[in-house]
Amino acid sequence: MTELLQNLIDGLGRGSIYALLALGVAVIFGVMHLLNFAHGELITVSGYVAFWTISEGWSWYLVTPIIIGTAIVTSLVIERVAFSRVRGSSDFTLLLTSFGVHFVVSAIFLLYVSASVKTFSRPGWVTNTYSIGSLHIEVFDTVVIGVTLVTLLGTSWLIQRTMFGLALRAAAADFDTARLMGVRSDTVIRGAFALSGLLAGIAGVFWLMRAGNTVPSAGIAPMLKGVLAALIGGLGSLRGAVLGGFVLGLAEVLLRSRLPDSVASLTEGFVFLLIALLFIFRPQGLIRVAHAERV
Amino acid sequence: MLEVSRLTTRYGAISALRDADLHVGSGEVVGLIGPNGAGKTTLLGSIAGLLSPAAGSVTFDGTDITGNSPEKLLRLGVALVPEHRRIFGDLTVEENLKIGGITQSRDERAELLHEMGDRFPVLREKRTVAAGYLSGGESQQLAIARALMSKPRLLMMDEPSLGLAPVLVDVVFELIETLRSQGRTLLVVEQNATRMLEVADRAYVLRSGEVVAEGTGSELRERPDLFDTFVGGNGQ
Amino acid sequence: MADQRSLNATHAGMFPNLRRDVAFPVVGVGLLFGAFIAVGLLYQSLFSGAAERLVTIALIDAIIVLGIQIYVGNTGVLSFGHIGFGAIAGYTFAIFAIAPAEKAKRIPDAPFGLTDVDVGSLAAVAVAVAVTVVVAVFVGIGLARSGAESGAVAATVITLALLFVTHEVARHWPEMTGGERAGLSFRIGGALDTRMPIYLALAGALVLARLFAQSRRGRLAKAGREDDLAARAMGVNPMVQQMIALLISVAVVSIGASLRVYETGSILPENFFFNYTLLTLAMLIVGGRNSVTGALFGVAVMTVGRELARRLGQDGFEVFGLGLDSAPLDWIFRENLQTVFFGVAMLGFMIWRPKGLLSDWEFDDWLYRRFTRTQSAPVVPETTMDSDQDARLEVDDVSVAFGGFQALSQAGFEVRSGQVVGIIGPNGAGKTTMLNVVTGLVPATSGRVRLNGADLIGTPSHEIARAGLVRTFQNLRLFGSLTVRENVQVTRLVAIAEHDDRSTPEADVLVAAAGLWDHRDRRASELDYGNSRRLELARAAAARPLFLLLDEPTSGMSDTESLAMVEQVQTMAALVGAGVVVIDHDLDFIIGICDRIYCLDRGTVIAVGTPEEIQADSAVQAAYLGSSAS
Repeated sequence: MTELLQNLIDGLGRGSIYALLALGVAVIFGVMHLLNFAHGELITVSGYVAFWTISEGWSWYLVTPIIIGTAIVTSLVIERVAFSRVRGSSDFTLLLTSFGVHFVVSAIFLLYVSASVKTFSRPGWVTNTYSIGSLHIEVFDTVVIGVTLVTLLGTSWLIQRTMFGLALRAAAADFDTARLMGVRSDTVIRGAFALSGLLAGIAGVFWLMRAGNTVPSAGIAPMLKGVLAALIGGLGSLRGAVLGGFVLGLAEVLLRSRLPDSVASLTEGFVFLLIALLFIFRPQGLIRVAHAERV
Repeated sequence: MLEVSRLTTRYGAISALRDADLHVGSGEVVGLIGPNGAGKTTLLGSIAGLLSPAAGSVTFDGTDITGNSPEKLLRLGVALVPEHRRIFGDLTVEENLKIGGITQSRDERAELLHEMGDRFPVLREKRTVAAGYLSGGESQQLAIARALMSKPRLLMMDEPSLGLAPVLVDVVFELIETLRSQGRTLLVVEQNATRMLEVADRAYVLRSGEVVAEGTGSELRERPDLFDTFVGGNGQ
Repeated sequence: MADQRSLNATHAGMFPNLRRDVAFPVVGVGLLFGAFIAVGLLYQSLFSGAAERLVTIALIDAIIVLGIQIYVGNTGVLSFGHIGFGAIAGYTFAIFAIAPAEKAKRIPDAPFGLTDVDVGSLAAVAVAVAVTVVVAVFVGIGLARSGAESGAVAATVITLALLFVTHEVARHWPEMTGGERAGLSFRIGGALDTRMPIYLALAGALVLARLFAQSRRGRLAKAGREDDLAARAMGVNPMVQQMIALLISVAVVSIGASLRVYETGSILPENFFFNYTLLTLAMLIVGGRNSVTGALFGVAVMTVGRELARRLGQDGFEVFGLGLDSAPLDWIFRENLQTVFFGVAMLGFMIWRPKGLLSDWEFDDWLYRRFTRTQSAPVVPETTMDSDQDARLEVDDVSVAFGGFQALSQAGFEVRSGQVVGIIGPNGAGKTTMLNVVTGLVPATSGRVRLNGADLIGTPSHEIARAGLVRTFQNLRLFGSLTVRENVQVTRLVAIAEHDDRSTPEADVLVAAAGLWDHRDRRASELDYGNSRRLELARAAAARPLFLLLDEPTSGMSDTESLAMVEQVQTMAALVGAGVVVIDHDLDFIIGICDRIYCLDRGTVIAVGTPEEIQADSAVQAAYLGSSAS
């Protein structure tokens, strides 16, 4: 029982980061029908910014807003340079464009920085734990869960209660008609990319605090977690993306702690097996999005 | 007010619209009629900025607006009620209206919302209902009210009676009549040529992508070459 | 009857037209193969040294790219996972092909006693293909199911996850794979001493890729690529086609991957990961993913481009030996330039030319057109098909609820062969819902749909279509990038698998009967509205249904066109011997064409009768024409 509770808390901590990443993916998928395989590049870029600033001796308190800002700006720049040119294209084109962006960004670091791992120091409290009864809880997980909760509430308010959120939802439902109503496509899409960047920035801070290093291909893992979680939750559903993130985090933690040691390093493989099974038995993901397809 | 000159629009290899000329004066109600595939929807789409014309020009109040984006045109005062109404089904009725008034200030929007509630009581009654649950007639009212929320100076409607039972077609034409009596400028695409000519000041007839005739209802009705445009005339 | 059926299925064969679909493609790819090899050998003789290896690598890349093309090109589903499959095949091949003595050094503790297995390289390829195809069956079920449910995007994510996971497993399972750094290797560098196996594999891949595209399966897959839902409604099950394409495609990739490992002499997790995925996909995209010629062309173009980028990155303009000063471009001529080149190429093509250099162009198509005389329009037979069958469709007490909204409550209708039955009613009365229930697109809460007594409730829509109920779509769902003729051919392929080939009208006859002969080689997406509607009708008729179900065939049409449509529907139905169920809100059209009319209001049938009876019915007048607004 205690072990399960322990897993639950660990899983929530891990899942929080995935949920933020997945939500960022889902927001963009909603307005542009683009599944952003370049989402992880926001973390790659942030990682190098963290490396440069922290190795200059800057504190994490200062670097945190810089990282979030970097993610937002990078997200907007990528939209401007690449995605704005393929708006309304087929899924195939959109997917490959984002895949291309992923490669160009990581290749730039490969070309101009280096292929080797760059490490930076992590804040001291990341590894601290405290105990409640027999539970050992990381300070880090507590912070992550708390910040994620606040972020999710804020995002929910933004989307449900503001005119921007209304425009975002209208554009996600029917882009052309939203434009006919005066919704500016640039505003909505850039807003979505900024929001996605903000969410990735927050997730990125935690990701980098835990990793303490970066490489040109660092974006692959967070990208994959984000898109997989969004898919598990049900593509197109914001709630589903968040749920998918937590489910993925929990599944990973549970598997890792339950699998025998000899195969524990293959957790990713087993997680994939579970996901494949999920899609065979529930192909629409956890939350079904009503298809507005007129027949 | 609106001046369309030699407008041509293509889909790939096909010109859906060729050298179309058209003008709408302030306070006029103008109909666009013609058989299916004649290019009526293409013409409205090209004016509203949903399609980019290959040649020709559109001017509104003397400003060249050819190829402007729909969101810019809306701010200039050109609104379009699209074919099939295109209501946001997952949003509530009130949210649909708010989106329509996105270009207005917060206070103005609230005032317009109130005004639409007075004019379309059924929308006020169902304001918290998801718009997807409205009936055909109700959602057509919502589509028009949503467009009116932007206080357009030129309101274009694409097939407002399409897919509606005859009873509800009456409701739509009554609404057009009301808007007309308020002095609004309207450009309406309609299949139902007979009914349209009863409410329009003038109309244009399109066929195979070209404007083939222009005139008042009685003028057009008397042209024998346009007979097939009116024959049968769904007017029950 | 059953015997006749199987006989006919054989008669239908894998290829609709042997000359067009087998002879020309084989000659075409033969010439392409020759040209590709010739260019390679020429390049090799012009530049010595590393050029030979470059050509060998390009040949192997071509096999893998063609393998990917078979899946991506025909199904339209973007896959990042094929290199993941390649990794599985590559490791399997290495484990089975490497001599036990070598394996004892790297993976002495391999599970299942694999360390001591020694089967030789040819058998190892077979094992690699078999193992990978088995994995592909499993992955393919997930792909097809999620793809059908959430669109191709979901399927793509699964392929990406597969790539990532094979990489993770390869890195973290050193007992089997030699781990991240050591990997597995043959004793000496390159283990392959002749190119013959590569040539054979490439020739095989080319023929397979091209023949698959022309085969019945390939065409059905392409219908699904164009419009999944419409394909189902015509009796095509895209899940099956995608699975078959995947398995063939994965088998080809597995052979290519084995050769790649054999040629390199070793395998590391990194060899079959993101970079190689980017490289192969970029080759496919740049050439043109929908075409085999394009895929091969892309390999050639990108191989040259990569080599140039690599050399520029190393030596700058000295590569050209023209004495140009490359110093101002030093910031870009750096090592690893080729990775940027591939990323930028992919991005650039997606933005400016997403269909690639050759788009859908196929070399043997061109040959065929060049060496075939133009045809004249076939004669549309005056005599109609005898409707000897006495089929009946009975829909009883069907109810459907969406959320709290009762779309249909205990509604039904009945139709027999040779009849035209209409369903009318005010907007929102449930007409289209009725058609969706009958064709299996919307599940009914209760009720029965019986075709010749067999209950169809719960049957998938493609099986309903095969059973004889085929529909058109109110909002036009043609297979856009297929030609008019191909649109009709695809559904006809379904029909001849179910019926007698000879008695199903030729695709060309149906095209001519629909008045589309002059447009036969046009893409469906280029048709105007009226012709699109006529093609919808012809395509549905080509499936040779027992009943044609028409959803608002005159929606948005003028009265004159509606009148013409009456005749077209009658001609088509007579040509294939089908009964007709038609929904419309145009009363004149319905009255002009129907033997019997059902009037729906708020989900229930309020009147049934002949057109005259319906026009006189007071309940109909009240609901449809009357005074009370809904």
